[in-house]
Amino acid sequence: MTSIELRRASRWYGNVVAVNDVSCTLGPGITGLLGPNGAGKTTVLHMMAGLLEPSAGEVLIDGVGAASDPSIYRRLTLVPERESAYGFLTGREFVRMSARLQRLPDGEEAATRAIKLVELEDAQHRKIATYSKGMRQRIKVAAALVHQPDVVLLDEPFNGMDPRQRIHMMSVLREEAARGRVIVISSHILEELNDLADTVLVMVAGRLAASGHYRAIRRLMTDRPHTFMIRSSDDRRLAATLLSDASVIGVELTTNGSGNGIIIRTSERSTLTHHLPRAARDAGIRLLEIRPTDESLESVFSYLVDR
Amino acid sequence: MSGGVDGTLIWLSARQLLAKRRALLALGLSLVPAVVAVVFRLLVADASGASGDFLIGLARDLVIGALLPLTAVLFGTTAFGGDIEDGTLLYLLLKPVARWRVVVWKYLVAVVCTAAVMLPAIVLPWLVVRGPDLPFQVPLSLLAGLGVGSALYCAGFLALGAWTRRALVVGLLYVVTIEMVLSRSLTGVKAISAREFALAVSQKLLGNSAALVDKPVTTATVWTMGTLMLVVGVGLTIWKVRRYEAAERL
Repeated sequence: MTSIELRRASRWYGNVVAVNDVSCTLGPGITGLLGPNGAGKTTVLHMMAGLLEPSAGEVLIDGVGAASDPSIYRRLTLVPERESAYGFLTGREFVRMSARLQRLPDGEEAATRAIKLVELEDAQHRKIATYSKGMRQRIKVAAALVHQPDVVLLDEPFNGMDPRQRIHMMSVLREEAARGRVIVISSHILEELNDLADTVLVMVAGRLAASGHYRAIRRLMTDRPHTFMIRSSDDRRLAATLLSDASVIGVELTTNGSGNGIIIRTSERSTLTHHLPRAARDAGIRLLEIRPTDESLESVFSYLVDR
Repeated sequence: MSGGVDGTLIWLSARQLLAKRRALLALGLSLVPAVVAVVFRLLVADASGASGDFLIGLARDLVIGALLPLTAVLFGTTAFGGDIEDGTLLYLLLKPVARWRVVVWKYLVAVVCTAAVMLPAIVLPWLVVRGPDLPFQVPLSLLAGLGVGSALYCAGFLALGAWTRRALVVGLLYVVTIEMVLSRSLTGVKAISAREFALAVSQKLLGNSAALVDKPVTTATVWTMGTLMLVVGVGLTIWKVRRYEAAERL
């Protein structure tokens, strides 16, 4: 059974730490690597692919160092994030080139199969330069899967794909995972991994911040404390009313450039969003604005690190 | 597409180097001497005595002295520079193929492309002005020098493409300052000039039939320094590509 193991793997560039002391073991199935841009996801994938040596620790594919031998690429593949491909080649030439460099006995047949897998038969004889972003992603996946590797690493594979293409690609990856392949997908959007990844690893600022089943990670992210900015017809009275709500952790009257308001902090967002309109109506207060203040992806991920 | 790993690497490198605009530019350069030869032929009514000197001067100053290094810059720096710049190098490195093999084939394809594109720059002017003083041995000798020059220039420019993102600019600066100016005036620079080596090889083959250069560098210098340039250029590229890390830009 194929496995990828990171043992206290770190990678730094000069003074910048890109990946810091990450340990995990990945087996067959789909693993999601989640994190904001710059979290170190690509560095982790490149270390797994043997393109980067860890500055400290080890990255092993079936117990062997990933960066030691190019023959590892008979069993491992990476679909890079950059959409660049050889624009002067046709899609078919690109996939066939991959098959030939993999020394497959029948490159033509393998290319046909891989192109069919990503549903690009109609465009296979067009130059890649004429492809849309989604089509480029799909032809890259076809070229990567042409030799049916045991380990498939995909860096933001759904970028540029429309919803239909995305659903199709997900089903392709699920089928590949069902064949016992180790598939690792990086993404900065949790929903992309919904119904796809068996396990999600959350990376923030180079560290492994959390890991577990998709639903557990989802719960961690939504059940964290949230902060809202509220403006109403009577902020002071609304603040007093909300203080009696058990889901409210703190209330602060504020004045800023856009006028007066209340900053409210809650541990249960869904409870508050149900309770707030009712409480305002019962008190005869008109709500003018409700705005979350900490919904940026970075703040969500930072919470996971700080918790 | 040719089958096998080596065939595929050759096919890909050639397709890359001979992309439309680059190939047209290089071919355009290689046709300049033919145009000059036609003008010479039209202006000089009795060219029988002067055609030898004309062709030798044209080959020395324009073809080997300027067009060859310019074409080699174009192909040599692109062989790896393009792949590194746009990230397509990953598609080769993620294959069960030794990295030195990728470098060697890219280098050889760059040499062949440079020499092949420059071929008309010698052959066409010779066909235009040929006479009794220009036997077949003359273009053949010049082509041999062209081959040596292609091999040496491409080794250097290949390394430049792998090591710097401004390979084309640095390469052009090298051609203008070292090859076009300094190597013609400073004796010491001649010992590290691919142009001088190419001319020396041609002169050696021409013998006394034509004077391409007054004092060609010695054969020993061509062999030792030429081999050194080739080994260092290709070696540095292999070293760089072996250590290539597809890092995130932080």
